[in-house]
Amino acid sequence: MTKRLLASTATLALATALLAGAAGAQTVVTMNTVQIFGTIDPAKISDYTDYMAAVNLYDSLATVDSSGNLIPQIAESWVVSPDATEVTFKLRADATFTDGTPILAADIVYSFERLLRINQGPANLFAGVVESGAVTAVDDTTVSFKLSKTFAPFMATVPALMIVNSDTVEANKGADDGQTWLADNVAGSGAYVLDSWDRGSQMVIKRHEGYYGGFLANPIDEVRWIITNDEATVKALAASGELTMSSQFQSPDTYKALVDMGRFRMESQPTTTAFYLKLNSKAAPTDDVHIRRAIAYATDYATIREVIFPGESMTTVLPAGFADFWNADVAAPTYDMVKAAEEVAASSYAGQEIPITLSYVAGTLFEEEISLLMQANLESLGFKVTQQPEPWNRVTEIAADVATTPNVNQIFFGPTYPSPDSMFFTQFHSAAAGTWASMEWLQDPAIDALIDQARATGDVAEQARLYKEVQALMAENGVAVPLLAQTVQHAMDNCLQGFKAVPMQSFDYDMVRYSWSCP
Amino acid sequence: MEFLGFLARRLAWSLLVLVGLSVVIFVIARVVPGDPARMALGPRASAEQVTELQEKLGLNLPLYQQYGRFIGGLAQGELGQSLLTERSVNLDIRTTFPATLELVMATVIIAFLFGVPLGVAAARWKDSWPDNLVRAFAIVAAVMPTFFIALLLQVLAGYVLQILPTTGRLPTGTEFEADITGLLIVDGLLKGQLHVVFEAMRHLLLPALALSLATMGQMARITRASMIDVSRQDYIEAARAFGVPDRVRLFKYQLRPAFVPPLTIMGLEFASLIGGAFVVELIFSWPGMAAYGIRAITQKDLNAIMGVVMVSGLFFVLVNLLIDVLVGLVDPRIRIRGRRA
Repeated sequence: MTKRLLASTATLALATALLAGAAGAQTVVTMNTVQIFGTIDPAKISDYTDYMAAVNLYDSLATVDSSGNLIPQIAESWVVSPDATEVTFKLRADATFTDGTPILAADIVYSFERLLRINQGPANLFAGVVESGAVTAVDDTTVSFKLSKTFAPFMATVPALMIVNSDTVEANKGADDGQTWLADNVAGSGAYVLDSWDRGSQMVIKRHEGYYGGFLANPIDEVRWIITNDEATVKALAASGELTMSSQFQSPDTYKALVDMGRFRMESQPTTTAFYLKLNSKAAPTDDVHIRRAIAYATDYATIREVIFPGESMTTVLPAGFADFWNADVAAPTYDMVKAAEEVAASSYAGQEIPITLSYVAGTLFEEEISLLMQANLESLGFKVTQQPEPWNRVTEIAADVATTPNVNQIFFGPTYPSPDSMFFTQFHSAAAGTWASMEWLQDPAIDALIDQARATGDVAEQARLYKEVQALMAENGVAVPLLAQTVQHAMDNCLQGFKAVPMQSFDYDMVRYSWSCP
Repeated sequence: MEFLGFLARRLAWSLLVLVGLSVVIFVIARVVPGDPARMALGPRASAEQVTELQEKLGLNLPLYQQYGRFIGGLAQGELGQSLLTERSVNLDIRTTFPATLELVMATVIIAFLFGVPLGVAAARWKDSWPDNLVRAFAIVAAVMPTFFIALLLQVLAGYVLQILPTTGRLPTGTEFEADITGLLIVDGLLKGQLHVVFEAMRHLLLPALALSLATMGQMARITRASMIDVSRQDYIEAARAFGVPDRVRLFKYQLRPAFVPPLTIMGLEFASLIGGAFVVELIFSWPGMAAYGIRAITQKDLNAIMGVVMVSGLFFVLVNLLIDVLVGLVDPRIRIRGRRA
């Protein structure tokens, strides 16, 4: 009898403990990032980790889905004027900051003006498009943006404007527009709140249960980002059960080791980030279109894409992810050494040794391998190759001058906002010359005119026509050799669901889109 | 009085060293390729944004004016704003320095506790198997790169055996504020939170062990050599002739004078590890000042670079000063020699 009583009591206690545990169980996702979080101030964010934190801590008027479409967030709807120079947003009546106060039109105006005043981070997206004073609160839940000119990609840039609580920031404004305060604190309306941040090692955010936007079933309660780029550390974290999701920058060995553990699966999705060989069209010998075409023919695309750096094929300078704007009629570049030799023979440099510099980011093994592969092929055509590895710090400097820009440059470029304009204007328009993204020194009035026309029209079909024409012209001039469209890879716990690559900064790591599928 | 004069001279020299260091690092940090404003704003910032930040930071001023601004701030104890963390460098260093200090202290303690006895044992059984073993260990430990040892330990203890944590100072989610000294073990003890002390020690073990092996090997070799030197002294021979027991002779008469070189090395190591711990800090995601300094260098965060170097330099100078005093206490002959000089 006593034994039975004891057994019943123990069973009851165990059941109670299990139930209590289940009730209090938190779904924690731990992910490693390879660089620290620089800032969480939405007026200063610039790189992938900055955005990764910001999209969870702050909301915008609208956000982006995996197809690049805008989805309402703080705004429930918007109306674009017929001439596309004014956009009026209607805010959700139930939208609140994490402290419970309602989000008003005045907060949108304040956030925009603060962004312009600080003039860092996403401010350059609005420069010359929306001036100070052009964003006004019509009433508490209506805000109007008056554009200086018709600017078709404007709506695509809206998610980069993250909204701060104006009262909170004003109360902590100090002498620097709240920059010191917002470097450590959050005044946002995101689905998550900052729990702790140890700058050198980790950041932890927790789910804001009162989030106005709601969550999926079985949401992620806590997210821990551990900062390490060390492969052994990532494996150790995975083996100990701590890691839920790897960064997208691990080595193939690490991915394999994680998958072999059984708990992880590989998530691999194409992105709209392109990888190019950018050829300096203003410096000899790449100033000759035949030499540029010879380089394109001497590029072993399959080896690069399938062996050296995994990625999707690219046929034009625009990744196929921009489906509506992608020109399917442009022929894919091919690896053909016979044609490469014919192009060299047709060039003004035929019959002589042709000196050429191949540049890549120093310390990046796969870029070095690509450069060596190119060297082998080009030297067999009579080129005299000089390898020029440069630290990234210096790439931005040498790109500022035609004379210091090497002949061939390996450059990754992804859209800052989900519009083809982000790919074309920033890389191929003359206004962008002198930056690392435009090392072609194209400066072609015909291309500029097409890009400008596309920016100035609100007609999507017309934009598509113009952008397709740009792609055809770019294939002709051969200044940018499209190598591949990058794939994003993560080793992910089998229970974690929701990852979809988004063509804008780190919006794919907005954890409100994720859920936990295991009990 | 003579001692105070010695101290004053050393302090004056130390100040001169620090001023020299500040000039050298200031110039080096500025001639390294890369625009700090561009690095801070990210690759997609416009030229206008970069120019505005350059002006705000005073990067458009002549070098001597920039240096003047830096020294002016330093005189008031202000190291400026970090471009990397968007906070004051003072705060960053205040946050990260205790983590590095704790790591380095644990490193030196481990190196000292094992290195000195190994050296003594090697000297005691000179040319026999314990000596050969210690010498082999010392050479291997000294030549093996720290990053390799760190990765080896991490894979072994964290990945294969899974017995020790491999990142950070405490488990994620631990509610504990090290607001007394910043040293988790010390603050944990002071606050009576033994679980924090235990966890902090578990987290500390792998990085400290990885960092200590080279120092341990060096300390063992120097202790051995020094012990053998002293063992050839006449007074040791006399002690042996008088039948003084082996243990007494070894520890009382031989070890104390032989202790000066390892002590000096320990001081130098202690100070240089403050800057040299970055590999281990990066591998173990240890939120210390060395890793902060390396990130500052790669991002060309000028104020942070200057701050880390100046603090490391100050620490180096102070520790060496302290070691000089300690050596004088351990070996009175040095004090006397110093007085004669």
